[in-house]
Amino acid sequence: MMEEESERRRRHTLVVRKPCFGLPTGCPQCLSAFIFLKLSKLPFTLDFHLNYPDSEQIPYFEAGDSVVYNNEKDGIIESLKKEEGVGDLDDGVSSLPEWIPTKVMLTTWLADALEYELWVGDDGSSAYSIYYSDLPWPIGKVLFWKKAHWVKHKHGITKDNAEVKEEEIYGRANSAYDALSMWLGDENYLFQNRSSSMDAIFLSHALVVLHALPESSMLRIKFSEHTNLVRYAQRHKTELIEAGTSPSYDPSFNSDASSSASRARSTSSSKAKSKQKSKREETKEEKTLRKRAKYFVAAQLIAVFLFVSIMSGYAGGDVEIDDDDAGYDLDD
Amino acid sequence: MTHPLNHNAAQNDDVVHPEPEDDEQEDEDAEEENDDDDDVLPNLRAPPSPASKLQQQRFKVETLARRLSSEMVPIRVHDIVVNGNTKTKDWVIEAELKGIETATTMQDLMRACEAAIARLQALEIFDSCKVRLEPGPKELPNTANVVVDVVEANNTVSGECGVYTKPSTSSWTLECALKYKNLFGYGDIWDTSLAYGGSQATELSLGVYAPLIKRLLTPIVARIMLVSQDWQEFSSYKEQLLGASLGLISTKHHDLVYTLGWRTLTDPSQTSSRSIRRQLGHGLLSSLKYIFKMDRRNSPIRPTRGYAFLSTTHLGGLSPDHRSLRFLRQEFDVRLAVPFGFYNTALNLGISAGAVFPWGQGFMNKTSPLPERFYLGGDFSPVCTLGGPTTLWGFKTRGLGPTEPRRQSRNRDDDNNGDSPGWDFIGGDLAVTAFADLSFDLPIKWLREHGIHGHVFAGSGNAAKLTQHEYKHFSPRKFLESFRTSVGCGIVIPTRLFRLEGNYFHILRKDEHDRGKTGFRFSFSAPS
Repeated sequence: MMEEESERRRRHTLVVRKPCFGLPTGCPQCLSAFIFLKLSKLPFTLDFHLNYPDSEQIPYFEAGDSVVYNNEKDGIIESLKKEEGVGDLDDGVSSLPEWIPTKVMLTTWLADALEYELWVGDDGSSAYSIYYSDLPWPIGKVLFWKKAHWVKHKHGITKDNAEVKEEEIYGRANSAYDALSMWLGDENYLFQNRSSSMDAIFLSHALVVLHALPESSMLRIKFSEHTNLVRYAQRHKTELIEAGTSPSYDPSFNSDASSSASRARSTSSSKAKSKQKSKREETKEEKTLRKRAKYFVAAQLIAVFLFVSIMSGYAGGDVEIDDDDAGYDLDD
Repeated sequence: MTHPLNHNAAQNDDVVHPEPEDDEQEDEDAEEENDDDDDVLPNLRAPPSPASKLQQQRFKVETLARRLSSEMVPIRVHDIVVNGNTKTKDWVIEAELKGIETATTMQDLMRACEAAIARLQALEIFDSCKVRLEPGPKELPNTANVVVDVVEANNTVSGECGVYTKPSTSSWTLECALKYKNLFGYGDIWDTSLAYGGSQATELSLGVYAPLIKRLLTPIVARIMLVSQDWQEFSSYKEQLLGASLGLISTKHHDLVYTLGWRTLTDPSQTSSRSIRRQLGHGLLSSLKYIFKMDRRNSPIRPTRGYAFLSTTHLGGLSPDHRSLRFLRQEFDVRLAVPFGFYNTALNLGISAGAVFPWGQGFMNKTSPLPERFYLGGDFSPVCTLGGPTTLWGFKTRGLGPTEPRRQSRNRDDDNNGDSPGWDFIGGDLAVTAFADLSFDLPIKWLREHGIHGHVFAGSGNAAKLTQHEYKHFSPRKFLESFRTSVGCGIVIPTRLFRLEGNYFHILRKDEHDRGKTGFRFSFSAPS
């Protein structure tokens, strides 16, 4: 069994950008793929591709001679769901009415906010460490400037409207944090108390914001105001990442020693999980709070829908918003 | 050895006239020294007629010629005067006049003048160059003044087009260049060139050639270039290099070039094999390449006698940044041509070997850079291609060596190319090639007169990966046993510029994924 698992691990390799800031990889997209595979409990090896920061192919997943690239089809997570041994983690939750609005929020508002913060808002040191620190200085600098210019162009940021745009981006991110905080409450996962790809995407965002961005970062400050979100991120970091070997700059780095994440109610003996247990007893008040949170999320989604259709400020929005969402079910 | 003055007279009838006419050929007007000539010339008081003037001049020249052929005529150069250069700096021209100042005899002086004219013409910045000898001051006997008359090129812009061979990439390139001469008056030649070649190689470059910078021994050659090469078909990657090169030393036997560049490897098709995939990305190339070449063969196109030796050392990673591409690549190439003395038969033997490995911290776990590895194969004749282990008769470009399976996609049909092998040639860290070629004249006289001859040949070669602990699995015996071998025969048509071969190859041994085929093929090779 161990040999079989070891063989499967060797056969499956996730290639990501470099580990840094105490995370197995500092890149949000790579980290979401990593967390997704961890939640799927697939044994795999982690490998690093350090000199290609502007590649759209990274992260990629190698299974023998076949490869799943991030820039194919709907991204690496959607492709991994069809991969043998991985399975569809979203089976049963992706049809929920809240699914698509949450996905839109995570993949547009929060993704754009983090992208802005890394390359424009911050002094750029975090992005440089994650993407360019393994390239010789002149090449790293040129690629960084190229990417920063691209991000500004994507968001329509000019010298005249820089402040306005910044407020807009941070405002949307804050709204998203508020909505998600209300939605999550004290739950372990975003949907039906089981892991899903949305958890992988949100966790990667949260961990990069908390650990890679400097303390003075506006995005980090706003995120830190939501204590349940911080708790959610730290809890999963402990379970998924720190429970195994610590992340190291090692081509054969393998951090899947612990696979304690589960879809069912947790029976782990860790302190975090015992705390979760005690908080699982929903009171009437918490149920009311959840209902109100759903109304709040609905309001945010309508605002998103209006913004996308009227303002048309995004260049790369792949997610389609279904008209059916306007009348989604608000029942528990 | 012909007499210098007779040699000049044979070349140019105007050399004996006191006022030489404009002539593109080597033109030298020598006048007699003042005091010696007075003894033999008649003292004419009345203005001479043209006919008698001509007779006098002829008499003077004949006398001088007799003296030059019978004795060493002592002379000393008093002054060198340069006329006609409005843009070109004086010291640029004076630097080409070496040997003239130190000449002690008339014969030496004339030889030095011939050489100076040749060097000045080689600068390509003058329309004409003439050197005149005039008598020195009367108070200084046996002296002469050397007057250099140059006419700077009116048309400073010129164009060139040519086809060149690049054995390192096993391809030909068509190159068109626009040259601007003598922009700053240093004899500098600026050129912009665009080259297009096999494997969709394109190069856009801007270069300068400065023959003389003060105190430096050799010309400076600098280029800024953007090169792109498509190896998609063979190795599933494309290469782009944006950089600059500086030729530090360039002599007959030694070449030293420094290159600084930003190299990017990409795979738009996303079909590359694992080791190619892991090398995609950016790298900084800062390297020094030293070439020592000695070619004592009688002909680079059809060598029948002599030997040649080439050593190339390429050291990368010459920058304080440890993240630049660090490697050491060494190649050797030895050739020997042995004549047999009948039917112009000659046996050409050659052996080439090369190795590349990374250096720096953790080099045991690193891999060698993909473009620096050895790729064997290509339609070039190894007889005239002197440049390390590159070609082997019968195998296509990058047609033999270590391979890896390309990406297998479950969803795609993967039918882009009907005969696509689905394997990437990833190159070797160690390569060895050897060949033997017996050439002989053909019995038909017409063919012999045009240099067309026959040859039979045998070639062998192999490449192996050594880095990333692969050297633990390497054994010389296995390496020798896996040598690919081919034999063949054919007709060779040598021309002044290249060597055309029509050969029949028979592959004696090849590996499963090698791209070599028994059959008939033409190949064009240029000497390198």
